[in-house]
Amino acid sequence: MPPAASAGPWMRIRGLTKSFAGELALDHADLDIERGKVHGLVGANGAGKSTLIRCLAGVTVADEGSVTIAGEDLQKGSPRASEQAGLAFIHQELNLIPHFNALQNMLLGAPKVTRFGIIDWQRSGVAARAAAERVGIRFPLETKVSELSVAQRWLVMISKALVGEASMIAMDEPTASLSGPESEQLFAIIRDLSAQGVAILYVSHRLEEVLQLCDRITVLRDGRIVDGAERGALNKKGLVRAIIGHDMRPPDARARFATDRSRQPIFSVRDIAWKSAVKGVSFDLYKGEVLALGGLVGAGRTELAHLVAGVARPDAGHFELDGKRLDIANEAEAVRAGIALVPEERRSQGVMLQQSVGFNINISTLKKLRAIPGLPFVSDTKARRQAEGLVAQLGIKTPSVEARIGGLSGGNQQKALIARWLNAGTRLLILDEPSRGVDVGAREEIHDAIRALARSGVGILVISSDVEELTLLADRVLVMREGRVTGELTGADIAEARIIELSYHDPNDEEGDIA
Amino acid sequence: MMAQVGTAAKDAPQLRKSSWKRTALIWLSRYGTIVGLLLMVIFFSANAPGIFLSRANFLNILSQASLTAIIASGLTYTLVVGEFDLSIGYVASFVGLIVTGLMAYQGFPIWLSIVCALLLGAAIGALNGVLVTKVRINAVISTLGIGTMLTGIGFTYSSFPIATGIPRAFTDISLGRLVFGLPNPVIIMVIVLIALWVILNKTDIGQKMQAVGGNLEAARLSGIRVDRIKIFAFATAGFCAALTGTLLSSLLGSGTLAAADGYLLDAFAAVFLGSATLKEGEFHITGTLVGVLILAVGFNGLSIFGAPTHFQPIFKGGILVLAVGMSALARRYAASV
Repeated sequence: MPPAASAGPWMRIRGLTKSFAGELALDHADLDIERGKVHGLVGANGAGKSTLIRCLAGVTVADEGSVTIAGEDLQKGSPRASEQAGLAFIHQELNLIPHFNALQNMLLGAPKVTRFGIIDWQRSGVAARAAAERVGIRFPLETKVSELSVAQRWLVMISKALVGEASMIAMDEPTASLSGPESEQLFAIIRDLSAQGVAILYVSHRLEEVLQLCDRITVLRDGRIVDGAERGALNKKGLVRAIIGHDMRPPDARARFATDRSRQPIFSVRDIAWKSAVKGVSFDLYKGEVLALGGLVGAGRTELAHLVAGVARPDAGHFELDGKRLDIANEAEAVRAGIALVPEERRSQGVMLQQSVGFNINISTLKKLRAIPGLPFVSDTKARRQAEGLVAQLGIKTPSVEARIGGLSGGNQQKALIARWLNAGTRLLILDEPSRGVDVGAREEIHDAIRALARSGVGILVISSDVEELTLLADRVLVMREGRVTGELTGADIAEARIIELSYHDPNDEEGDIA
Repeated sequence: MMAQVGTAAKDAPQLRKSSWKRTALIWLSRYGTIVGLLLMVIFFSANAPGIFLSRANFLNILSQASLTAIIASGLTYTLVVGEFDLSIGYVASFVGLIVTGLMAYQGFPIWLSIVCALLLGAAIGALNGVLVTKVRINAVISTLGIGTMLTGIGFTYSSFPIATGIPRAFTDISLGRLVFGLPNPVIIMVIVLIALWVILNKTDIGQKMQAVGGNLEAARLSGIRVDRIKIFAFATAGFCAALTGTLLSSLLGSGTLAAADGYLLDAFAAVFLGSATLKEGEFHITGTLVGVLILAVGFNGLSIFGAPTHFQPIFKGGILVLAVGMSALARRYAASV
């Protein structure tokens, strides 16, 4: 029961509206948030979730509407006012200072005990240590953040919020880079906090989690709140329908491609080793199949992808493309050999945000777009024609190919990154977390595109930490754990439970300890 | 080859009508510098019609602008690839000294001296590029270090100005008017600007430069040899600096130590003014030209109105800070849209 003094919900959002460039990002949103409850917030990219959160955080100023906390109006556009009202925000990027230790990060912006102007970390840290205990931090708080895992950094961020005596913590895609047990640990902490009276605003594309964790779920679509329900009143199918506005095709509607191992593999990995991250990996990739690497974050998959794409050179082992041994010194040589990587970090490693959609698509095929062969002049007509063709082919939603790619949703940016390689003579396309931060509708389209590419004869290697994505997309799954391939799944064996089991337990490992 | 998936581009959400405030802001951030330039021209024309508004004075402004425009457009290239070059002023001074020395001391013919001078500038630029990309020294340190060294090397080469033994034909290069009665430096500037504009906007290498500056990691993963692209940009900056230095020596009729050092600040001011012109915070050749003209018209106006010489650095420094500020605001604005 809420305290008798304040009738009604703790936080009351009424008619919150915000438009960017004349486009309504948030359209008269009403939402109540109670302390001690976990509120799920779901919706496609561009549905208005981030805008809502940014308005609460005071980073964005709403055009209309109000936010009342415990009966008092929240000052608009003031991050400080939001903080003082007890609101804390944890974004995917985790705004921590890497070379500060956990304790220093937790106390950033918090008052500290000083003696003659010198900070007394021992005494200042009392609240932080209490917070660390509440969330179950077991590593020493003097550890530098750069040495912590993503999961541990989340714990630091949550502790930081608790040090600031947050009444509400908003979390944006907390499990995007967490493994299964790490996620479970986070859920336990969230439930704990919620039981202690903290309101949680949980934003995620992972609907199972939301359904499992949240007391109330709110669905945003096109800036409007289209659905809201208590736990149990919504199922996944209903949620998906509310998010995309129509039904999704069931995942098992298509037969998996049966790998034909009698033919020469498109790509082979032989005893590749690199530092302590990759410890002797070998496998073959065949024509027509979507081969996926599953496993936990930190299992060595991204590192392996980087070795193939020439970002780093392996310490041992080699690669073969179409039966020919490859020696790749850098990214440019990999691309020339026909190996391309669609990287994990779309914004920092994939798109040139300031440039147009067409520029981003054409950048890897400039030679083919020359006005006169042999002369280094790019033909604007050829460039536009190629970009427009690929935009249509992949269904990239953009006002034109001249539009800045930064204005597109994550899913459409990702499609543009795939488009970049379609005319580039690519023999092997590696996609690292192809649908991270992408809404369900766009994910399906990206999967269709990947599948079509594989069937057309391009070697496809997908890396995904999203187990559901693996079951939807892959024809064959290799599970990696601690730098080794620990298992292979094909056909009907590709199931979430099997993948998770192999991710945590190496069948070849006699001790069989679970991380 | 691939199935048609999803909805086509034509279903993209239509942008609604922008508010007039936003339109005005965009307009101002794109055309503000050009409007400023026109206002300056109108102001000077109205207040000093006989002196400012004359063919002779306009040609004077253009020839003053031409040396700055050449060195600044080279600098633009390094900024396009996300680096910068603090050595260009020193390179111009150094090469300006060497080119006269080659004629006066070594007895090289004019054409050979100039070719050597320009290649020397490009080589120094390329060296800067190698230090930045391969050795990975921060551009501030490496270009400042190289530039400072050049000052000393120049002094070692000749501790006093080289004024005798320079063929008349060399000074005629900058004083002559071969085409349309325009001073030769103006013609050279036009050729250089067009060439650099075409390379930046219409060729592979220009697109790659923009990609490298836009997102280094993404460019690398797109198969672009980013180190080569950056070295090319630095070499271009060095080449342009050398050209400016050579023309300055021709104009002065002598090779003088540190003669062109001041072009560094002018070039930076012009390039940053340019990045807030027509585009939001991107460096480009057209913008750089506008920036150079603003400086040249400003200097010209100051001297016509008899402002003391020490007003020039105040104007120059003020413009630089203003330009960088405008550029930063434009970029922040572009990022928020």
